[in-house]
Amino acid sequence: MARRHLIIGGGTAGMNAIRTIREEESERSTITLVSAEKPYSRMVLPYYLDRSIAESHVFTATARVLADWGTTTQLGKRATALDTKANVCTLDDGTKVEYDDCLIATGSSAVRAPVPGADGPGVHSFWTLDQARGVLAQIQPGSHVVMVGAGFIAFTILNSILSLGAKLTIVEVAPRILPRMIDDTGAGLVQTWLEQNGVAVRTGAKLTRIDDVKGRRRLKMAAGGDLVADVVIMATGIRTNLDWLKGSDVKINQGVVVDDHLRSSVPNVYAAGDVAEGRDLISQANAVHAIEPTAQEHGRIVGANMAGKDVRYRGSLIINIVEVCHLDVASFGAWDDAKAEAANGVKPDRPAYRKLLWRGDRLTGAIILGPSSDIWTSNDVGMLKGLVQSGVSLGPWKAHLKKNPFDIKPAFIATKTTSSLLPETILGRPSKAPGESPVAV
Amino acid sequence: MKVLKIHPEKCTGCLRCELACSYMQTGDYQPAKSVIRVSPFEGHTSYAPYTCTQCAEGWCMTACPVGAITISAVGAKDVQDDRCVGCKLCTIACPYGTMFYDPATRKAFKCNLCGGAPACAEACPTAAITYEDVETADWLGDFARERTARVLAEAR
Repeated sequence: MARRHLIIGGGTAGMNAIRTIREEESERSTITLVSAEKPYSRMVLPYYLDRSIAESHVFTATARVLADWGTTTQLGKRATALDTKANVCTLDDGTKVEYDDCLIATGSSAVRAPVPGADGPGVHSFWTLDQARGVLAQIQPGSHVVMVGAGFIAFTILNSILSLGAKLTIVEVAPRILPRMIDDTGAGLVQTWLEQNGVAVRTGAKLTRIDDVKGRRRLKMAAGGDLVADVVIMATGIRTNLDWLKGSDVKINQGVVVDDHLRSSVPNVYAAGDVAEGRDLISQANAVHAIEPTAQEHGRIVGANMAGKDVRYRGSLIINIVEVCHLDVASFGAWDDAKAEAANGVKPDRPAYRKLLWRGDRLTGAIILGPSSDIWTSNDVGMLKGLVQSGVSLGPWKAHLKKNPFDIKPAFIATKTTSSLLPETILGRPSKAPGESPVAV
Repeated sequence: MKVLKIHPEKCTGCLRCELACSYMQTGDYQPAKSVIRVSPFEGHTSYAPYTCTQCAEGWCMTACPVGAITISAVGAKDVQDDRCVGCKLCTIACPYGTMFYDPATRKAFKCNLCGGAPACAEACPTAAITYEDVETADWLGDFARERTARVLAEAR
């Protein structure tokens, strides 16, 4: 069994791996964590931005917790090379770390639209804690914030920007918002909802350059008039942090290609989270799922396997939720599968929307919109996830749901979805509570 | 551990469990804040309450990015309000539809077995909800399958 574990990356995947190693191992091993930043959760940065939590709340492991977990840390450093023959990782300050097995969990970085002025003053990304600090320092009540990009990352901070009293304009080059999270009908409902809530949305709008004009930013648009902003946030996508692996033997496609144990092409090198290209639960094909729940599940599977267990991963399910101005927007699985059978229902006045997609009589994808105060929205959000995750055979309920796409609950219960879900665990045993991990074995 | 066992054939649909639950959880008699929810079957001639099974995986707990969901002394997955930021990840991770979100408090909430004295079970006049030391199970599946035959016949 491996005695020296190296975890490269202190995000969700890396931290879950460390905790799971300590939960699962029978003999105490050594763990080294290499991380450019102190471990924190990106998911909660929007709540730091709106000042509902203190900065201290974002950290997932303090120095004390890392010490309790017996972790040697190399913080503030980046891995620059991996020699998989010598089992040595080189860091940017020249440090060399030897390992018996290692986890690549270096995540992804924000990228900006390639236009002149994109790196100028007053233009921000919102991805890391440092970047969040930068945005937080700039937004004042009455500020005009222009968000470039209308994807999931942008949407996670809309509420925060509005609650700081700023005026918000969203600029998206694609003809519609949330192109990778919901379909056209859903996007149309969300856009109308945003406009009713005082957010200006310009779709099909191409940004050509950003100029500094007396301390404010002028966004030159290809058509339709320029915009002047106090703060510009570029939420124009993310890119996996894989460049440092050039020259290593690890096989890379869209991400590090991993098997059902999250092993790369080099057996003692694992990958997890945004950098891993692992199995998709629905399609069973390999894909990069750069979402928090996949990083968490990947991390735990890797931790167990590093600790000497033999845990297979069933594959990850794309799940996303975002709330904008008290409207919940969520999607699951293969919601954009053009070959699937689909049915939908719209209640434009609420607004509420359901789209259900099938392969055979199994639900393989779903989109749901509804008021966040509506308890049935929360109920259906979870049950749709359960139906897609379990893949239960819907039998005659498929026809019922096609006619009544809002009537999820009886279908969920009567198809005994609970029975099929209850035995399922990620690690083959009941999960432990966050504070329950052994600090010394 | 002790769990909420549901005996759907005994449920009369009186909704006392929802009132008791919301009062215990929030201080208000407000079924919309209840984490146990009664569903009608067969055109409102049968009913069954549905709530968190306290499943082994604890999808809500493992999904939480800030460790705000823990396991209480009685074995319930329990949201710590001072840690929860309201990101809703637990509501899409839970595959049972039993994680809820309160826009007023901006916190997730769920069944925590009332710390070992579940108000729903105490309030139920027909013992359709009992608190027992048994394996958690799918208490409603067979009941619902029988009692939804007519709905399905209409769908065809």
